Amino acid sequence: MSILEVKNLHKTYGKIQALKGVSFSVPKGAVFGILGPNGSGKTTLLGIITDILKATQGSYTLFDEIPTEKCRSQIGSFLETPNFYHYLSAVKNLEIAAAIKQRGADDIERVLQIVNLTQRKDSKFSTYSLGMKQRLAIASCLLGNPEVLILDEPTNGLDPVGIAEIRELIKKLQQEGKTIIMASHMLDEVEKVCSHMAILKKGELIVNGKVDEILAHEDVVEIGAEDPEQLQQAIAVLQGYNSFKNEGSLVQLFYPVGTAKLAVINQHFFSRGVVLTHLLMKKKSLESKFFELTN
Amino acid sequence: MVHLLKIEWLKIKNYSAFIVISLFFMLGIAASNYIVYSVKKNVIDKADPTGFLSSSNPYDFDSVWQTTSYVGGWLLLLPGLLLIMLVTNEFSFRTHRQNIIDGWSREQFINVKIVMAILIAFAATLMVIFTALVFGFASGTSFSVSHFESVGFFFLKALSYNMIALLIAVLVRKTGFAIGLFFVYLWFENFVSTMLEVLSYKLKEWYKFDAGNMGDYLPMNASDGLLHIPRTSIGDMAKNAARMPTDYMYISLVFAIVYLVLFFYWSKNRMLSTDL
Repeated sequence: MSILEVKNLHKTYGKIQALKGVSFSVPKGAVFGILGPNGSGKTTLLGIITDILKATQGSYTLFDEIPTEKCRSQIGSFLETPNFYHYLSAVKNLEIAAAIKQRGADDIERVLQIVNLTQRKDSKFSTYSLGMKQRLAIASCLLGNPEVLILDEPTNGLDPVGIAEIRELIKKLQQEGKTIIMASHMLDEVEKVCSHMAILKKGELIVNGKVDEILAHEDVVEIGAEDPEQLQQAIAVLQGYNSFKNEGSLVQLFYPVGTAKLAVINQHFFSRGVVLTHLLMKKKSLESKFFELTN
Repeated sequence: MVHLLKIEWLKIKNYSAFIVISLFFMLGIAASNYIVYSVKKNVIDKADPTGFLSSSNPYDFDSVWQTTSYVGGWLLLLPGLLLIMLVTNEFSFRTHRQNIIDGWSREQFINVKIVMAILIAFAATLMVIFTALVFGFASGTSFSVSHFESVGFFFLKALSYNMIALLIAVLVRKTGFAIGLFFVYLWFENFVSTMLEVLSYKLKEWYKFDAGNMGDYLPMNASDGLLHIPRTSIGDMAKNAARMPTDYMYISLVFAIVYLVLFFYWSKNRMLSTDL
């Protein structure tokens, strides 16, 4: 079953084409990262899925059904900004959200606990800091323990501790079997928590699939030694790699997928009298992949 | 719908502007009627002991229904203002988006606002009825429901104000701008209405063409035109003067209802079709 299936979505704002025929599907249990530079159409895409924007063309299904407000109430979502009644407290705002979702009214204490807002739960929303507002938005998504979450830049405005907490939370939710659809421009965030991803560029989907498969076009082995000259000489006689690149005092070796064997490499250098002080199998970093794809 | 209204109640019950404006409105209806009552009793009656200007007490049954409805009608800006604030708040807090993201349909969102407009108009009408009863019984006359239709016209007027407030709020979205536009529109319509009224006089006088007071066929003035001060002898004299256009109340009534339906579909269509 696919949780979300998007078919050929187009969206134009006047002359600007925000989405140009985007199609993909999100399998159950995935943490699906939607990645793209500012203005690439991430929020527009999520806006259409949550029915606050009307698609110019194309369609989508939620839970393999034609989407209705019932489907939306089964999903914990927030988009762009935390949207709450400024003159009401956190608890009162969550009461309204729970009443609209028709679930989670008895869940308010729990979700406030998760995002560490219990102490300020009776303060008015207008007195909250940006990070606290963001936490409250996440709490609202968690109401009633939904099976699917849609999060738009969930770590926006959070301090480093908050970011780490949200990452942990997302991992925990994934272990519980939840499906999470997350838009982000934080590359390492997607790399750390997502199982699947789609990259948008100027409204076009340029890549879509499992994070492992997208990133693993090459095995990257990073090595380092006390004596760089000896290291270079030993690299010259090493077999099997495609290319290498000097990265400061370290060297990156690029192998075809699945062919780099760390033990063999280590053996090669040791037998030539080079003791490696650094030996690491790296995935190609998402950052370099991202720039490669979006430029 | 009851469930939706409960949610709406959660939104407004702690909203201070709601409480303040409601109190102002309720006190205002009672107070403004009391002022009219005092002026009539202490000023007009003393200056005009023969009752030439006004033969009967406007707060006697059955005139009391007309008088309180007419006087209360002047305060209907307040519920309109309240409605604009309640709706534009949703836009400025972007909770209109969140409500829909969380599981309302767009239709539910606008429907509950329309029902709020009706309920607020209904509450205002109840206040008018209550005031009329108090003044009516205080006047010592015996209870009568003749001219009670004025209260119905008051409801229609209240609903017209609320629906145009709702429409402006949905179209404009920004609180300050919407309130400004609401006032400017009312002022503008009154201006055009006066022009049309003069035109109606001239048409009747010069061409013997009498389509009634055309100024009363505009959105706000249609329901306005249904509410009158109780007939007085001086008023009757003016009416009988041949130059006055005929008072076709039923045309105003039809116009008022047509405008309401128009506002209803316009605000609904706006909410259903645009990006939020």
